[in-house]
Amino acid sequence: MADLSNLAGLGSDPSGEIDSSASSANNRSLRLAEKEKRKGEADPFGLAVKYLSQVEAGTVVRGNDELERNMLVVETVALSKGLPSEVITVLLDLALSLNAGTGNCARVLKFLIPATVVPQEAIVKGVSWLCVGKMPMNAQVLFVRWVLTVFDLIDCKDNLRSIYGFIFSFVTEENLCPFICHLLYLLTMREHGELQPFLTQLLALYKVFRPDLVTLSLPSRVRTGFKNHNSTWKVALSAVQRKNKGAVLVDQSLSLDVKEKPSTRKRVRCHLSIPPLSSAFNSNSNKKVFCLQELRSFRELLENIHNIELPAQMGSLLGSALALHYLDCVQDESASLRLNFWLGHSLQEEFLLCPVDGSSDNTSEACRFLSTILFSQQFLQEGFSSTESFLYKFLSVWDGCLLRPQILDLLSDIPLMPSFYMHKLLFEPLKQLYFTSTVFFKCSIIECLNSMLIKWLTWHSVSALEGGLDISLNSNSTMTMTLSGFMDSVMELVRFVGLLASEGLRLENCHVLLLNQTLAFYETVCDMFLKYSLPLIIMPPAGVFYPALFATDSVSVDRLGYIMYRYRKNLTLAKKQEQQREQTFHISRNTYKEFNRNLQAMVNSMWNSWWCIPGSDIEIDKDLISLSKVAEPWCRFDLIHHPALFSYAIEFHQRCWPERKNVDLGSIKTGKYWNWYMEFLFNQGFDGLNNFIQTNTGHGSGLSSQDDRTKTL
Amino acid sequence: CSNHLPALFFFWLGVFLIIMERRGSAVNTPASRPVTRRSKSYGRSCVEAPSYFWQTPGHLAVLKIPNSRGTAKSQTITNKVDPEHIALLVKNEWKLSYITPLHHFRHTRLKSYSKHLSAFIVAEKQQGVAVEVGLEAGFKVTFSAVLGLAENDEDAETVFIQIQSKPVFAAVADAPKVVWRGWLTCVNGDLEYLRSLPPDFVSLPLFCTSGPESLTTLVKSWFERVFDCNFGCLALNSTTLNWLTALWTGCHPTCNIRHLKLAWSLPTQPPLDVSYTVNPQDAWELWNSIHPEESTDDRIDIQEVQSFINGLEAHFFRHFKIFLSAGTLVKVSTALGSAHVDGKIKIGNSDYITTLLTLLTECALLKMPA
Repeated sequence: MADLSNLAGLGSDPSGEIDSSASSANNRSLRLAEKEKRKGEADPFGLAVKYLSQVEAGTVVRGNDELERNMLVVETVALSKGLPSEVITVLLDLALSLNAGTGNCARVLKFLIPATVVPQEAIVKGVSWLCVGKMPMNAQVLFVRWVLTVFDLIDCKDNLRSIYGFIFSFVTEENLCPFICHLLYLLTMREHGELQPFLTQLLALYKVFRPDLVTLSLPSRVRTGFKNHNSTWKVALSAVQRKNKGAVLVDQSLSLDVKEKPSTRKRVRCHLSIPPLSSAFNSNSNKKVFCLQELRSFRELLENIHNIELPAQMGSLLGSALALHYLDCVQDESASLRLNFWLGHSLQEEFLLCPVDGSSDNTSEACRFLSTILFSQQFLQEGFSSTESFLYKFLSVWDGCLLRPQILDLLSDIPLMPSFYMHKLLFEPLKQLYFTSTVFFKCSIIECLNSMLIKWLTWHSVSALEGGLDISLNSNSTMTMTLSGFMDSVMELVRFVGLLASEGLRLENCHVLLLNQTLAFYETVCDMFLKYSLPLIIMPPAGVFYPALFATDSVSVDRLGYIMYRYRKNLTLAKKQEQQREQTFHISRNTYKEFNRNLQAMVNSMWNSWWCIPGSDIEIDKDLISLSKVAEPWCRFDLIHHPALFSYAIEFHQRCWPERKNVDLGSIKTGKYWNWYMEFLFNQGFDGLNNFIQTNTGHGSGLSSQDDRTKTL
Repeated sequence: CSNHLPALFFFWLGVFLIIMERRGSAVNTPASRPVTRRSKSYGRSCVEAPSYFWQTPGHLAVLKIPNSRGTAKSQTITNKVDPEHIALLVKNEWKLSYITPLHHFRHTRLKSYSKHLSAFIVAEKQQGVAVEVGLEAGFKVTFSAVLGLAENDEDAETVFIQIQSKPVFAAVADAPKVVWRGWLTCVNGDLEYLRSLPPDFVSLPLFCTSGPESLTTLVKSWFERVFDCNFGCLALNSTTLNWLTALWTGCHPTCNIRHLKLAWSLPTQPPLDVSYTVNPQDAWELWNSIHPEESTDDRIDIQEVQSFINGLEAHFFRHFKIFLSAGTLVKVSTALGSAHVDGKIKIGNSDYITTLLTLLTECALLKMPA
């Protein structure tokens, strides 16, 4: 092109002469010209496009400055803002018709950056120019490459698909072949699979759609697919698109990749790869069906949901989010069995029959696999039954270490089951692992069981809302469990965690982390009635309650306050409902008794500075306490002296009496200071304690004196 | 791998048995309000209504290893099955695998499977070149049904696969050579298991192969893609080998077993391999003292099998002062057949084929993923 422009200087150009004559005009005409020019500037782009659309065949190109100027205007706009779709049509036609010369053809194609979409007609017309056969080879190549680049932006592809045969005929051109193949690859759909097999990458796609017609396997070396020949366009295009953000976004997060199987350089025994999506071998090609690998967007999924064909291998569904959407609506029992067979087999072969030798590459592979399952289960909000039964077997051979986060996460997805099975399949192996492991493992077990409980309760509250709807949903796979059966299971789980927690806390010296994890669990438990409408209230065992009450960190004490506050709310509501509506359920007297005892213990020690709780299980011999030589032992756990709150009392004291040398915390208890102290304490963020004290003693900040009676239920 | 298996097996057994005891007493408190567990079909619970027992712990008990089984009975199998087919099964040493149920497998489509598998093999062999299905090239695959091996109503008929290859430079007259053989079978499969499968599944849990490993891999991956099934090695644990030892020895009066060869591997440093050949008559007399021939009941109990093996081991100890029970039984062989712990078998006499295949089908079904 450079030589061409050099040569262009030799030719005579009428428009150039006009330009030069204008520049040699006098001042007045110069001003007029300026004005004219400014007028034109209102829309120089529009004018330029108009000019370019009128360029006819045979226009002189060499030294045509006007053409050059208009080109420049359009080029600048194209590269900065992108071109509107109708301009694309005009310019593509201009370029491919060669009306502006071969040099300009390449130039136009290079700046043909769409701002939004590319009209399909422009491409179809382009292909017809290709068929005319006038274009030089490099221009043809450039055109097809451009189409590949903007392929995702073409507004609609049905007409393009209907000239599939024309496009296909170009594969015989040696230079065009790779690009044409790539284009066909993008255009090919099931109905094109009838054509004669020709080239490998394209055939790979044929194979995916019609495995019964073509058999092919590609060596891993050449599996690179289509090269990205078009990086300069891509850069310009993405720059323009970023600028016009939001106008056209190709939704890639949902699109399915037609993945060939990953490089086969793998261990011989590998059960942990998700198979690629491909059509079923027996698929009925006459029926109008849509296969999953053809889906590109969620909309397409919705439109075709009734004639989507299941893939050859059900396991391949786990590979993509779009397929999971579909799996969510699959009601086919055989399909679920296939999936569970595959998954169960993979897990069994990898973790049960061929014990992992601990090599790191293997573990990372296993980790990825389990994460995929986890992702799918979380997406579907339900566990696969094969994972469930795998876990029951695996728990008894698990060292508690291998892939711990994944295994525990999977464990928390285990659905509700009758309480008897829970003991044998879950609690026994977990207990062994729990008591022989570090405090951090203990924490993760409690956390895992907490999240399991939350999932069960959520399921319950949802199904309680939906009523009997589920029974008709799928009769052969709905488990009917009585409400009391469900409550038994929940009760077993809560009791089990209570046991783990109290023994664990004892063994680990009331480790703060374990205590907090335990309290998090009881935050779920205390709200079962109010939050999840399950008429069941279970109090924490003494082994959890007292360590929390006498904890040295304020967070635990505050959490306990919150928990007791919520228990009270739940119990109050339960009592009210029982009295009003004579509900069939009832909370046992013992639960109220237990709650009251805990409440008294808490209020007495923190609020009333009493020690003895009549009739309680923690009566400590006076002489024994006196041996400790602690002065005034009865008020060691009140709101001032409690080890968790002591530092706050000191700070408060310093603020009230900055000049005092002798700290006398007792003076906080007198008169208005007490109310101020309460306010100070609650301003530190102890909402749990605040709620607890307000509901149980009627003490709002600065409302009443300290000797309120405990309001038991 | 073989060392881990027995332990696992016992663990399975343990779980199943415990659950079986309590099956009747599942939670069944009177309902104040029925709660249904919302579940999509893929999320079938392990503790759900017992329609799919391999997913139901209570029903897994069905798949426990039986404590007794019938004595091996001779039957002239060639009356039921084409003798040519039987000849094919008897010749080779077979490597065993288990397969999960095949989806959409049809015995009526064996011809088309032949075409597709051969195209698949050719395509895999010449990576990158497409193969049109139906053209003759290099490999010829034949699927055929071996009718008559099935014992109960639910057993699917055995499928035999043969791969022939014609060398590139072979003369035109040269017959293609058989390079690989394999068969899928199910003999006396657990009825409850087979009945619980939806009708579009065919269970042929036992897969026996003979030929180069590379072809086995190709055949397996073709099956996996076409029938959405999965394969795994089927190793034979010592309990299975013990059973075979006893069953075969018991046949001696009706069919000369010629020898009873047992091989043990002892975990010493370096490992000690013990080969123990017993005179067939002596072996039978020992067996007969434990399980008298004239006993009316023709079932054998696992305890009888164990005391037979103990007897053999005690005899060995008396002579060599070596406790064979400290090692693993690796191989059993008689004139009726042989079986190796790695999952390799040979069928010596077709008249006892049913007993052997029943035992192996059972082992394969036990491996089905739950």
